[in-house]
Amino acid sequence: MIHYYLGSLIILAGGLFSLFLPEKNRAWFATLSMGVGAVLLLIPSVNVLMVGNSLADRICFPAPIGEVRLLIDPLAAFFVVVISVMSFLCLLYSIGYLKSYREQKKSTASHLFFLNTLIFSMVLLVTVQNALFFLIVWEIMSLSSFFLVIFESEKKEVMSAGVHYFIIMHVSVLFIMAGFILLANKTGSFDLSTFKTVLETNKDLSGLVFMLFFIGFGIKAGFVPFHIWLPQAHPAAPSHVSAIMSGVMIKMGIYGILRTILFIGVPSLMISYFVLVISIISALFGVLYAVAQYDIKKLLAYSSIENIGIIGIGIGVGMLGLAYHNDLVTVLGFAGAILHILNHSIFKELLFFGAGAVYYRTHTRNMEKLGGLIKIMPYTAFFFLIGSIAISGLPPLNGFISELLIYLGMLHSFEFHQPVALITLALGAGSLALVGSLALFCFTKVFSIVFLGLPRDEKIATMNKGDVPVEMIIPMLILVLFSAAIGLFPQYALYFLRNAVQSFTGHQQIVLVSGKYMDIFRNISLCCLGFVLLIALIYVIKSILIRNKNVYKYKTWACGYDAVNNRMQYTASSYAGPFLSFLTPFFIKKFNIRKPKETFPKEAKFEMRIYDIIEFYLVDPIVKTNKKFLALFNWIQSGSTQQYILYGLIFLIIGLLVAMRMG
Amino acid sequence: MMASLILNIVVILFLPFIFIGVINKTKAFWAGRKGASIIQPLYDFVRLVKKGQVISKTTSFIFPIAPTITLASLLFAGLLTPIVHHRAVFGFEGDFILFAYILALGKFFSIVGAMDTGSSFEGMGASREAGFSTLVEPAFFIIMASLVAITGNYSFESVSLMLHKTADLGYLIIVLSGITIFIMILVEGCRVPVDDPNTHLELTMIHEVMVLDNSGIDLAFISYGAGLRMVILSSLIANMISSSVFVYVVVLFILATLIGTIESSFARLRMTHVFEFVFVLCSISLIVLSLTMLFLYGDMGSL
Repeated sequence: MIHYYLGSLIILAGGLFSLFLPEKNRAWFATLSMGVGAVLLLIPSVNVLMVGNSLADRICFPAPIGEVRLLIDPLAAFFVVVISVMSFLCLLYSIGYLKSYREQKKSTASHLFFLNTLIFSMVLLVTVQNALFFLIVWEIMSLSSFFLVIFESEKKEVMSAGVHYFIIMHVSVLFIMAGFILLANKTGSFDLSTFKTVLETNKDLSGLVFMLFFIGFGIKAGFVPFHIWLPQAHPAAPSHVSAIMSGVMIKMGIYGILRTILFIGVPSLMISYFVLVISIISALFGVLYAVAQYDIKKLLAYSSIENIGIIGIGIGVGMLGLAYHNDLVTVLGFAGAILHILNHSIFKELLFFGAGAVYYRTHTRNMEKLGGLIKIMPYTAFFFLIGSIAISGLPPLNGFISELLIYLGMLHSFEFHQPVALITLALGAGSLALVGSLALFCFTKVFSIVFLGLPRDEKIATMNKGDVPVEMIIPMLILVLFSAAIGLFPQYALYFLRNAVQSFTGHQQIVLVSGKYMDIFRNISLCCLGFVLLIALIYVIKSILIRNKNVYKYKTWACGYDAVNNRMQYTASSYAGPFLSFLTPFFIKKFNIRKPKETFPKEAKFEMRIYDIIEFYLVDPIVKTNKKFLALFNWIQSGSTQQYILYGLIFLIIGLLVAMRMG
Repeated sequence: MMASLILNIVVILFLPFIFIGVINKTKAFWAGRKGASIIQPLYDFVRLVKKGQVISKTTSFIFPIAPTITLASLLFAGLLTPIVHHRAVFGFEGDFILFAYILALGKFFSIVGAMDTGSSFEGMGASREAGFSTLVEPAFFIIMASLVAITGNYSFESVSLMLHKTADLGYLIIVLSGITIFIMILVEGCRVPVDDPNTHLELTMIHEVMVLDNSGIDLAFISYGAGLRMVILSSLIANMISSSVFVYVVVLFILATLIGTIESSFARLRMTHVFEFVFVLCSISLIVLSLTMLFLYGDMGSL
């Protein structure tokens, strides 16, 4: 435990001390402290993951909180590993990424402080076993991430996205609070372990509490229809913040849901199917909207919703396994979910780093202006390609492994011999395949529009060659290696996660790493290696065959047309266009078109915006009516200090009177 | 055992040429021509391999490597496919998931390779290819899930082995699955009525327009790959029907002539209708799923 305390405190202290350092050393110092902290955190957590025991400790706080238990069980340890490694890479990346802000003489001091505070709060969050303290840490996490989002607060859209995020996070905490209050009322204690006994026995209560927590944590995680903060906050935040938020922070919502399932024990069928269906909807919705985006970071934000959906599908399958008492399905489902948490944090950070690198060099997130960057920044392009393949769930990279686990869980759930399970999960498998192929659609679009072809904007066409600073390259390289390692040797990854997964079956018998299932993943590993070898073999044969042949370089064949220019290339919108028109009912498109009218056309304009259908029909009306209602109380806010003091006075008097009456 | 594996590899390597040859012969027959020899595609392959290449200046390292990776993915998918005697070179639980995803990787690279040229024609083809595959994959997975549910087995080999032991409705499911995979051949193998492999320069093209800039050995890889894709999918159909080598050969011959006949007797669909045509796949797969429900739980009454 001492390593854990020391590690988390060093991270916090690193953020605090970086405030007092000269501008150019700050990021280095924060990263260094994070590195030391990460190593210290990894010692106990890796140990717990490998051995399967738990570390526990208690701290006493003054009155309202009381005694707080800290517990590093395998599930918490898994999250500590993800948080510390991924956050370290994020900070490493931020050294390079913040350079451009330092050149603009923008202070990064408070930014780094909040970044380290966010990491500290997340590390604490996954180990805390006290409801009240959990809420405090949760709030620290939300607030520090809010300050990270509004880093460029001088921009109006950043501030509005930040406030949006702030409000939604507090709606989320309301539901979590309600759940905790319900439980604390029943047990008279804030300790989470007492909740477990109540939840396991009282089925009605557990259903209600699960729904409250699912909504509360689901808002953080970004399940549809609670996702609307993601596509707003991610483009507004700096890229490394988007990376840490999407790669790590939204997983805290998933952590909350997983922890709730551990407390509930055997979930009811209704709830399990509900989680599965909501997750399938989230995955489909997220990826469909990702296809439609032209802002690269907004696209990645929607793709996070998709991946949260995939994680949720895994959780849903696992819950069905629990509900039908089938260990194999439970293990496959949760293993898929937990591995996908890790995988998503790997490739989503990679992609956000890539998008950040593009923004760093070109200062635009609009894909319609980009193109041909593979020649300007080849390393970033290569890393982004790997990230795109991984996130589309294709072998031989890591995304495939977690999806494979989920598919296997779905197929094995036919062993329940339940018609409902068969139809839901067969359609679920179809939906997961649809999500996969839409992700392929989406990421071939991003990669080819941003990196391939020719630049669509003159500024970029005349840009100097040269990749981003090496501090930004290294984290991407490390993530690529992670991705390939998990993809090529999945059996070791599963061995590493076995204890975290096993905590869901409720007994110590290990299904996941026992003979048959390891064999599948050894086979997959062999196949992936064989496939890579086959590519190499064909490549060698091809090189030998064309060794003495003439290879001419010529223009791209435009079917005889000779005056081709860069603007004639396919764009992001035209790539997705035909497919989206096929799915028109799912989108709200607003056009702003000015057709050329004159005999000698002067100007023409075409603008298309795609609105989120849930935001448009569900959230906006609520916000509007709410605004109308709150406008009735406008007169209270007069702006004069005297009046406010009077309010305070009146409130105090009323309070005193009430207190006197009660006494 | 060993012999059938070697036979598998031989089939994967050489049957695609003959398969395309038979299709072309059939088309020649319906057109009243004598037609080229059945192994003409092999000669074409050799001719293309001997040629040099023209590569666009716009392209990067993606373009030359894309056909290689696509071919590797198809060959590997071939190794996962049960071909003769229900045996695949690699077969294990869940192999059909790897099969589908490795083919998707090939598709990823053929799309990215096309986009690398910066040509709007190829962008058009790539967009369509990506769009259609979004409808093909779910259908394939729903069909496979149904077959897994019926047979209680989890690999291509054992699923096709168990499939013969079914009765009544099972045959209907086999027929419908066969039809689904046949439509997949038409869509993925870029044949009429989805795509026309003979014309390159029409804006309604899908797959053919994606390879406008490929030449020499890359083009050889791509056209061989298209044949291989059809052979792999046809093998799936053949294995649903029987395990004998004779039946396998007959089924593949029938499928090739069927494709040739369809190409001689139908016109290509208008692009807006192609989506609808591909959507049929999903509908049939849902019918297969409902039949599976009936097959497994039909007499339970609890439905």
